[in-house]
Amino acid sequence: MSLATRNVLIALCITIAIGASVIYSVNYLNSLRIKDLNSTQQKLSVDTLSLETQISLLESSPCSIISHTSELTSELDDLGKRLSYTESQLGSNDSQVILLKQQYSLLEIRDYLVTEKFSETCHTNQVTVLYFYSNDKNCADCDKAGYALSYLHDAYPNIRVYSFDYNLDLGALKTLISLEKVGSGLPAFVINNKVSYGFTDLDTLKTLFPKGTFATSTATTTGH
Amino acid sequence: MSGALLAYIFIFLGIFFESFMLVTFLSKPARTARARPTTTKTPHVALIIPCYNEEDTVELSIKAALRVDYPADKFQLVVVNDGSKDKTWEIMQKFKDHPQILLINQKNGGKHTALNAGIAATTAEIVGCLDADTVLEPDALKRTLVCFDKPNVAAAMSSISIRTPRGLLERMQSAEYTVGIFYRHALSSINAMYVTPGPFSLYRRSVLEKVGGFVYGQQTEDMEMALRLQREGYEIDNMPRALVTTHAMDTLPKLMRQRMRWTSGFFRNVLFDYRDLLSYKHGVLGYLILPFGLIAPIAILSIFSFTIYRILHAIITAFEIRQGIPFDWYFHWPALLHTATWFYTPISIFGLLGIIAAGLGIAMMVVGKRVSNAPTNLFADAICYLLLYGFVAPLWYLRATADVITGTRRGWRIE
Repeated sequence: MSLATRNVLIALCITIAIGASVIYSVNYLNSLRIKDLNSTQQKLSVDTLSLETQISLLESSPCSIISHTSELTSELDDLGKRLSYTESQLGSNDSQVILLKQQYSLLEIRDYLVTEKFSETCHTNQVTVLYFYSNDKNCADCDKAGYALSYLHDAYPNIRVYSFDYNLDLGALKTLISLEKVGSGLPAFVINNKVSYGFTDLDTLKTLFPKGTFATSTATTTGH
Repeated sequence: MSGALLAYIFIFLGIFFESFMLVTFLSKPARTARARPTTTKTPHVALIIPCYNEEDTVELSIKAALRVDYPADKFQLVVVNDGSKDKTWEIMQKFKDHPQILLINQKNGGKHTALNAGIAATTAEIVGCLDADTVLEPDALKRTLVCFDKPNVAAAMSSISIRTPRGLLERMQSAEYTVGIFYRHALSSINAMYVTPGPFSLYRRSVLEKVGGFVYGQQTEDMEMALRLQREGYEIDNMPRALVTTHAMDTLPKLMRQRMRWTSGFFRNVLFDYRDLLSYKHGVLGYLILPFGLIAPIAILSIFSFTIYRILHAIITAFEIRQGIPFDWYFHWPALLHTATWFYTPISIFGLLGIIAAGLGIAMMVVGKRVSNAPTNLFADAICYLLLYGFVAPLWYLRATADVITGTRRGWRIE
């Protein structure tokens, strides 16, 4: 074997080793992300169940534990952001991403129900937004709407945003869509039980909110 | 085949090629070759300096060549004025009485005719080509001559670096030349050189007489000569510790013109005149180096367009979705700090492979400087190279490819 041929074979082995190491490293990082999200979701699932149990136990005066919800919703918000980033890395068709999104959507629905209960019982001035989006190319404005809602949720503490992938195959989500009578025109928003469709700009979106919503401006709450 | 898939294939091929070069550089023949001491033999040497409109540099080049560390009675300079339209011939007259210098004035016929005229005017055993804008380090000649100790070596070359680079464009070329030092040495150790660089190369006269003199060679007479020597079974050697310096192209149009000539010359020589070299029987030159040279433009264009597409797409998308949102919110520190964790590390397979390829390129630059002791600022050169090369190289590759396809031929330089 000539020196050059030997060098070609060595270089080929080095290239394969580099390629394999890179693919392994990126996949390993992604698996760590999935593991981290799984662990956070499990913790949130327990926390949500605990909160629901507390509400049941304190049925006569649940408002005494209202402060517990803010920490939970803040973690849910963080989980949503990380899940969104993971989806951008692995793609929306990845089976693990889909499973995580299903679990996250369930947590969101449960948090939404708890928030609604507190709103009714404790007369809080929370404004909840149910935001339905799609990863399909036919929803060109979904990214813009999601970003605008993220901004509103960060800037105004009384706004809580729950975002859902309209096409996600999840029974509880389909029931929520049916209950709120949300059609397939996306993006769709349910703000204080009123459904609206499409996104043009931030100012137009703001007109969908009840008067007085934007009177304060300090951040914290659940979001997209 | 999608652009993304092509870009992935080419970046893998790029890493393979870089790995091959590094392995070759580290293998025994290359180590032995660069460790060779200066030869004690002093054959009669004549350096031919072809000049066309070189009034700014010819005097410097002649004076530097005269300072060369070599017995005066064995060393001759043949300066050929190839019909210059400026004051080159007048400046050359300053040396008309110098015993080691022979001046020739001829009608403009192209660099190859000037070289042939110079060779014909001397009887030296070793003849060399020295560009009029190139400065020879005093020990460069002696160091390069060691290559001719091997009887089958027909041509030998030194390392070439850029003299006092200024500005982004010149520094980018300086980095490129430093990588070139590495490449030339690795390739010559496996006899896979396809060019005997115009700035400074030496030839065994007896071989030139056998294979014939310089020809037009698709405007790249140095490449044509190297390919002819390879076809005839000779070796082309290199001594990286011998150094010459040359000047860089100071404007983009001049650089474009030079690189389009080199690139289209390579394509035309390899595809039209020396296609027979693309064969396993010509060793690694035939089955790896020349084919890689042919696909390099497509690879660079593909990787560059894919990278630019991804960056532009990300910027445009980010701009679109942020329309109407208060500007200061983009840089809301708590939110930015929140993403400064391992979870949000933006690592992708393509990005990581790109970093590795760039890292290998920088390693070659470092090694190129070390083996040649080229007086370059590696850090500044590397930064300019990384910032600029990906943007300017596709321009000349694209135009040179178009020239070859359409049969367009351009002049040597911008007058």
